[in-house]
Amino acid sequence: MATELQNVDLKTDEMIINMGPQHPATHGVLRLILTLDGEMVRHVEPILGHLHRAQEWQGQNRTWFQYQALIDRVDYLSGMFTSWAMARSCEQLDGITVPRRAEYLRVLVSEMNRITSHLLWLGTYLIDLGAMFGFPFYPFREREKLLDLLEEIAGQRMMFNYIRIGGVQRDPKADWFQRVKKFTDEFPQRIDEYEAIVTENPIFLKRTKGVGILKQSVAKDYGVTGPCIRCSGIPLDLRRTKPYSVFPELKFDVITYDKEGDTWDRYMARILEMRQSNEIIKQCLDMIPEGEIMAKKQMAGMRIKAGEGFAAVESPRGILGCYVTSTGGEKPFRFRWRNPSFCNLSVLSELLVDSPIADIMAIFGSIDVILPDVDR
Amino acid sequence: MANLLARAFSGLNQVRRGLSTVFGHSFKEPITKEYPQIVPAITTHFRGRLALTVNPETGDHLCISCRQCERVCPDKCIEITSAKSAETGKLELIDFRIDHGLCMFCGLCTEVCPTYCIINTNDFELSEYSREALIYDLKKLTLSQDESAFYFEKKEMPLPKPKPAKAAAPAAAKPAAPAAAAATAAPAAAPKAEEAKAEAPKTDAAKAEAPKAEAPKADAAKADAPKEEAPKADAAPAKEEAKSEVKPEAKPEDKPEEKKD
Amino acid sequence: MISNGNEIGKLTLLSIVWLTIVFVAVWMVTWAVGILLPMILSNSLGEKALLINEILCFITPVLSILVFIPINAMFMVLIERRALALFTVRKGPNIVGPDGYLQTAADAVKLLFKEDITPTGADAFMFTLAPIVFFAPSIFGAVPLLAAVTNNHALFQVLNLPTGIFYVLAAASIPVVALVMAGWSSNNKYSLVGGLRSAAQAISYEIPLVLSIITICVLAGTLDLVKITQQQAGGILNWNILGGGALSGIDKFLAGTVTGQPVGNILATCYPFSGLSYLAVGALIISTIIAFWLYLTGACAEINRIPFDLPEAESELVSGYNTEYSGIKFAIFFLAEFTNLFVVSSIATVMFLGGGDNPIPVWILDSIAPLKQAVALLNDSFLVQTLHLVNPETLFSTLWVILKVYSLVFFAILIRGTLPRFRIDQLMDFGWKRLIPLSLIVFIVVVFARGLVICHG
Repeated sequence: MATELQNVDLKTDEMIINMGPQHPATHGVLRLILTLDGEMVRHVEPILGHLHRAQEWQGQNRTWFQYQALIDRVDYLSGMFTSWAMARSCEQLDGITVPRRAEYLRVLVSEMNRITSHLLWLGTYLIDLGAMFGFPFYPFREREKLLDLLEEIAGQRMMFNYIRIGGVQRDPKADWFQRVKKFTDEFPQRIDEYEAIVTENPIFLKRTKGVGILKQSVAKDYGVTGPCIRCSGIPLDLRRTKPYSVFPELKFDVITYDKEGDTWDRYMARILEMRQSNEIIKQCLDMIPEGEIMAKKQMAGMRIKAGEGFAAVESPRGILGCYVTSTGGEKPFRFRWRNPSFCNLSVLSELLVDSPIADIMAIFGSIDVILPDVDR
Repeated sequence: MANLLARAFSGLNQVRRGLSTVFGHSFKEPITKEYPQIVPAITTHFRGRLALTVNPETGDHLCISCRQCERVCPDKCIEITSAKSAETGKLELIDFRIDHGLCMFCGLCTEVCPTYCIINTNDFELSEYSREALIYDLKKLTLSQDESAFYFEKKEMPLPKPKPAKAAAPAAAKPAAPAAAAATAAPAAAPKAEEAKAEAPKTDAAKAEAPKAEAPKADAAKADAPKEEAPKADAAPAKEEAKSEVKPEAKPEDKPEEKKD
Repeated sequence: MISNGNEIGKLTLLSIVWLTIVFVAVWMVTWAVGILLPMILSNSLGEKALLINEILCFITPVLSILVFIPINAMFMVLIERRALALFTVRKGPNIVGPDGYLQTAADAVKLLFKEDITPTGADAFMFTLAPIVFFAPSIFGAVPLLAAVTNNHALFQVLNLPTGIFYVLAAASIPVVALVMAGWSSNNKYSLVGGLRSAAQAISYEIPLVLSIITICVLAGTLDLVKITQQQAGGILNWNILGGGALSGIDKFLAGTVTGQPVGNILATCYPFSGLSYLAVGALIISTIIAFWLYLTGACAEINRIPFDLPEAESELVSGYNTEYSGIKFAIFFLAEFTNLFVVSSIATVMFLGGGDNPIPVWILDSIAPLKQAVALLNDSFLVQTLHLVNPETLFSTLWVILKVYSLVFFAILIRGTLPRFRIDQLMDFGWKRLIPLSLIVFIVVVFARGLVICHG
């Protein structure tokens, strides 16, 4: 009898689950086709394109001036960076030198934007991990303050359209700088608060330590950028490795780890980056010179010299590149975006295999993907 | 074993730290703004609902129908209807439609407007029960004199230049005898406006300066136009004839009708 | 430093108002059916009313629970939302009714009016049965607790069982079946995973939970909830959380010295092995505190609250076992969840925190004269003597129970506001490799240490 029972071949089957696009935790409309063996993920297939809005094609059908207003929507959490990448590539093409005050303002607002982006990530990441009701509100509180400041100069909370070809749109008033200063003074204490709740929490450590280890070679192969690759031991930060704007004048170090980073490292890197950005903002506030903010008057019918240009900036998610071809006309000939989220997302299928279903969100959240940035 | 105990205690201590931090937050001022009761302070450059200003001093409409906004709008949500006035030879605004359901509030139209006519207001409550209701026409878009003054001051826009004396007169007389005033003012303003008009239709975005320079004058000419009398009452015929940008022959036969009314 | 006094005051007021409404309503119903009606009946019918009265006697406790559960759950949802809002520097629901008092009532009405959907391919019978099976134990399982929390009130005595806690725990393990039923019958993969998770989790965490309770039962020497409560009477030193009565000898000694009565050899009687006994007292105190913590952890897992809310892990399984539920069925799940929270808090109160006992030792209370007079005045009043509307003993013990239970509920809310969720394998590790050995150690320590001390003498 016993031997008979042993010989019974229990038939188990793999279960295919369609996670998304309406799943509450896929950050929008990512669809993952998961093959589950019990609770373990055996195969992952991300399906993209649910949010495809033809952003590149739209660029070819709008004037330069119009397209500037649209590209904030590509990565809606860090609109300054998309604007900046486009502005830089067009300036490169047109040979415009941006005034120094404008450059400082660009660094200032974009680092503020980086903080808002990381804060939102922090809140939603904790939601992904299940701390759904308490903690996520704290980062959003600080984000709100920053967005109010950004709204004041740009006009909107997320679709800034502030960085323009040739400079920035508007010169903030003196008291605005003081308020930013006030924020930077108290922000580190707020980060301390987050860390008190999260960083050493045993459950959080269990959920994130040793989970989703991104090997250096894999990261390189997939073209991962941003905090993810810096955690895997490659100090790739465009602000330092290929300095642009006034970053060479500012003091900061690339946050990187010697080992191969796991989810906790990616969390920690973002926390450190927020502190770092805070310091950069402080420096900018001290160093910002007086002067012009616009090199060339913005006009609806502006033209960019014919040619090809490529420029990249270090967005909160990684390297955001913008390739542009102009024929000298009112409209661009071709726009091509190199979006960090897209490349970072592609590594997901590598990371998720053989991890439990609960880790999907821990890992997916940790690489910080914005779906409109993926699908464009 | 000792290691395990130490880990357990440090873990519990961290949980305690987290709990006390969260509990400590209950003594902090709530950040909730109870929105419908307390409307948040809107920043100066906030890009809200679009609107058209009038001259805060005289109440004249500032739009000169240069169509810059219509051209720059990435969503093509602005639709301007204008016609060449027979008397002045200038473009006069008949209708101005903005589909706020289509608008993405990029504010490009406000940046190109030469007369600071189209602006982003602080109004952000645009809810309606139908999409059609989001299409605002000239009447809905135009701000009152006080509102215009408020926005001119808040946004620190330069006030429109005072008009030429001749044009100012009919504007003053307008409420009393609009038809008569129009008749008298028209010939006076005509020669100057004609020059501007000849340029205006052909002027494209690159030559935006031309309408800008003419702005106050064109505006003055417009003030005496029939727009004030019956643009809305005669909306249907007016729109029909204004489909093309300038249609001088349509205008005269329309005008007597209006006067009769 | 406190800049939020306004909101805290509002929350306190809300709790007081709601609790008054809840308990007054429940007591009025209970009193009307259990005391007033029999009184009227026996006055008018005389002997014939005996049978009816007997039946009413059994109906009353059940009726009181049936009235209590929905309004209490409504209050708990509201207080949870408001308290979470407080922790997260928000204001919470404060629009519906005066300062949001009726928010959950409105939510309940909304849920009841929603369409009740049974998904295609679902096992309709099981699908409907699951919420009922989930909800039922919280009604009949909580019955023995009633006598314990009301200081053995005459109305609730009937349902007190000699094996009370055993019955409660047995009833508390039934909802797991319902979750598996719900998960399986929904014809949804997320639900299925959620249901299976809940089964695995409940089985693993019931062991430390039960072991920690058995520890207390061993200390108390009985399974009778009323007896366990009565043993703990007389101040915080007698409570089970502090050594399960190991300190009662010291308590008596202190009482004697303070009031000036002869102490005699109380200490020697209670702690016969002097040094070894005091060591055992220390071990017992530590053990019972650990047992209390084990109970809280196990109970948290048992009722699927954060950090153990894996069966409905929103970020992974959409909503777990209740993904497909809507309308009244979902409302029942929701109701039962909060009732379960209340029930486990009540069990913790009865088993560890002395039930309706006030934390201040009796010998201190007795020395306060005005308090005594006030109680005597209440005892002689018309309400107590003729109408039996208020039973002073029950009143005070119930007030303490409410305070203790809602403190635990508040603590659960605080935990919900802070901790992230476990992963399923870590949850199992934690349960089997940490909690179960720990609870066994605690159990064994208590078994041996108990022999060295006279507890609850």
